[in-house]
Amino acid sequence: MAIAAALFAASCGGSSSSSGSSASSESIRGQTITVLVPYVMPQKLLNQFTAETGVNVNYVRTGWDATHNKLIVANTAKTYIADVAEFDWSFTGQFAGAGWVEPLDNLLPAKTLADLKSTDAAFVSGGKTYAACYSNDFRLSMYNKQMFAKAGITSFPATFDELATDIQKLKASGVKYPLQIPMAATEGGITPWYLLTLAMGGQLFDQNLKPVFQTPGSAGYKALQWEADAVKNGWVSPGSVALNDDIALNDFLAGQSAILFATGPGNLPTANDPSQSSIVGKAALGLVPGVTGPGASFGLPEGLSIPVTAKHKAAAAAFINWWEQPKNAIAIYKTQGSLPCGTSTIKQMVATGQLQGGDVLNQELTHVGPLFQAGAPIWYSQFSADAQGLANAAVKGQMSVQDALTQLADKASARTQ
Amino acid sequence: MPGRWNREGDRSARETQILGWILVVPAMAAVSALILYPLVKGFQQSIQSGGILFGELPGYVGTRNYRDVLNDPTSRDAMRHTLEYVLLAVSLELVLGIFVAVTLHRVFRGRGFVLAVLILPWALPSVVSGVLWRRVFDPDNGLLNSVLLHLHIINQPHVWLASGRGAIVYITLVHVWGVLPLISLIFLAGLQSVPDEVYSASAVDGAGPWRQFRYITLPLLRPSMAIALTVGTLLAISIFDEIYVLNGTALNTRSILIQVYNTTFVEADFAHGTALAFVLAAVTAVLGGFYALALRRSTV
Repeated sequence: MAIAAALFAASCGGSSSSSGSSASSESIRGQTITVLVPYVMPQKLLNQFTAETGVNVNYVRTGWDATHNKLIVANTAKTYIADVAEFDWSFTGQFAGAGWVEPLDNLLPAKTLADLKSTDAAFVSGGKTYAACYSNDFRLSMYNKQMFAKAGITSFPATFDELATDIQKLKASGVKYPLQIPMAATEGGITPWYLLTLAMGGQLFDQNLKPVFQTPGSAGYKALQWEADAVKNGWVSPGSVALNDDIALNDFLAGQSAILFATGPGNLPTANDPSQSSIVGKAALGLVPGVTGPGASFGLPEGLSIPVTAKHKAAAAAFINWWEQPKNAIAIYKTQGSLPCGTSTIKQMVATGQLQGGDVLNQELTHVGPLFQAGAPIWYSQFSADAQGLANAAVKGQMSVQDALTQLADKASARTQ
Repeated sequence: MPGRWNREGDRSARETQILGWILVVPAMAAVSALILYPLVKGFQQSIQSGGILFGELPGYVGTRNYRDVLNDPTSRDAMRHTLEYVLLAVSLELVLGIFVAVTLHRVFRGRGFVLAVLILPWALPSVVSGVLWRRVFDPDNGLLNSVLLHLHIINQPHVWLASGRGAIVYITLVHVWGVLPLISLIFLAGLQSVPDEVYSASAVDGAGPWRQFRYITLPLLRPSMAIALTVGTLLAISIFDEIYVLNGTALNTRSILIQVYNTTFVEADFAHGTALAFVLAAVTAVLGGFYALALRRSTV
């Protein structure tokens, strides 16, 4: 219960009466909705939804970056793309600001929204909730217990100094590239820099959204330098500079490295799934290291939204509501690796022992905060695109860390003016 | 009688003219709907502000977006990279294309098989060839590093697509691998139109293979060369798939089209994205016109 309480410390005191409404099953029966989400979904579960509601689902899965780009194009053109669409924490400022998605306050049952209240805070803009959280994502580490034991390491490092020492031990024990950090010029490749910046005790921006990562003493600077040094020192494989997060996870699951530095909490079940992993039973979660003890992390929840151009909004709302039900969210967690968001779901998982790595999750959550204190700004996409290219150039050695961050700060400052 | 013939001739000419218009109108309508309308809309967008997403009021901003993209260091780097892709790719395609065509022009055993194999890279979609080559260049598990490590030519895996110039050369090679068959076939068709008698006559006059190539083959291949130059340049200037699959949107290999994609679809900055696309279109149109003129001169 303590874990559930920590996962969702926020109040769940919303009214249990349904101020929102789900359409009656008869009015949506026979409709076909398109769902655009960047993660796999077993057909068996979709068939269950169809059996329960009579709504057919065309489930379209593309990579995260591709999904983001498709949504931007379709929304800008005001054309239909899906009835239920991915909504990342980073979309909130841009998508809500542009009016691309429907507020869910009157489309989902109040009980469902209340259950999601804590994690849905990332999707609130102007007092309206634009998505229903399905992936309670935050960054932490995952490591290979067997490799650690072979190197004589008994616990996951709590500080960067300990991490450096352990990496040397792992290398000495025969792990050629102990660390796995994606550094490609993609969203997944820039996330580790964000995480390292927070873990080293800093922020990317101050309260006025002015960049604070470009001076050599700043945490952002040290974080990018640390990544560049990890490449130079052979802590990560040379190919890390072109590695995306999904490939980094696959390589870790294949037993190619000992530590997956920045990953999500839902990837532990994936590591223990024999159909997806060759390190079943060997993976464990670890806290993000820091300067003097475990470092700060940040939440990056993902949700389900209904674009304003959706054709079957009631059926879409029914699908979202179905996904959020504890039984379904847990089944999806086990196959897709998305840690559920609903308070009641987490409570049920804890009570039935289905939450893997619960103790570490509980501890990590005490270090989790938002990347942007006031929510993702409207210009986040532009900042992220700039950061992806420049940080990638720095870790490849094509430009100095100083040059990359100075350019990035200049661009960010221009956007915030 | 002559008057009647004239009248009938006039009517026939008029009917032919009307029929011509009837046949052309559907194509013109399709072109207008699919090309002209998006072109006009796109141009409109390129001279408008970014709107609410960029904290601006919607409205026309004149040439501001064009000035912005021409002054942006990332866009300028992308232009420089594109120029490098074009120069390197076209040079390689012309030289290798002529070499392959001259080789295949000779009758030898297995020529048909070689021709079929030659077509294969061209038949593959550029995304597929990009994926294939990614397996070759992959720093951790790639074929190239495996072979070189096995042969002790390198001591540790090399990240082929990390360096600036090197990465552009490797991506260009992948592009040339896909386009070379087409260029070779253009030259081969040109060679086959040269009468054998010309070579026989020159041989009687004492011309050796090199002199025949220098003074007969090359001059008579000028029309083919103009076509190959046009096709090669247009394909190289619009290089996208190979770069995106092999190195994503990394700055060191970004072409103008990748920059257009990134600006438009990743940053959602349609105003600057379309402005950059129009800059590229203008350059391509000028080059296309220049080549068309050259082709006309070489064939008249």
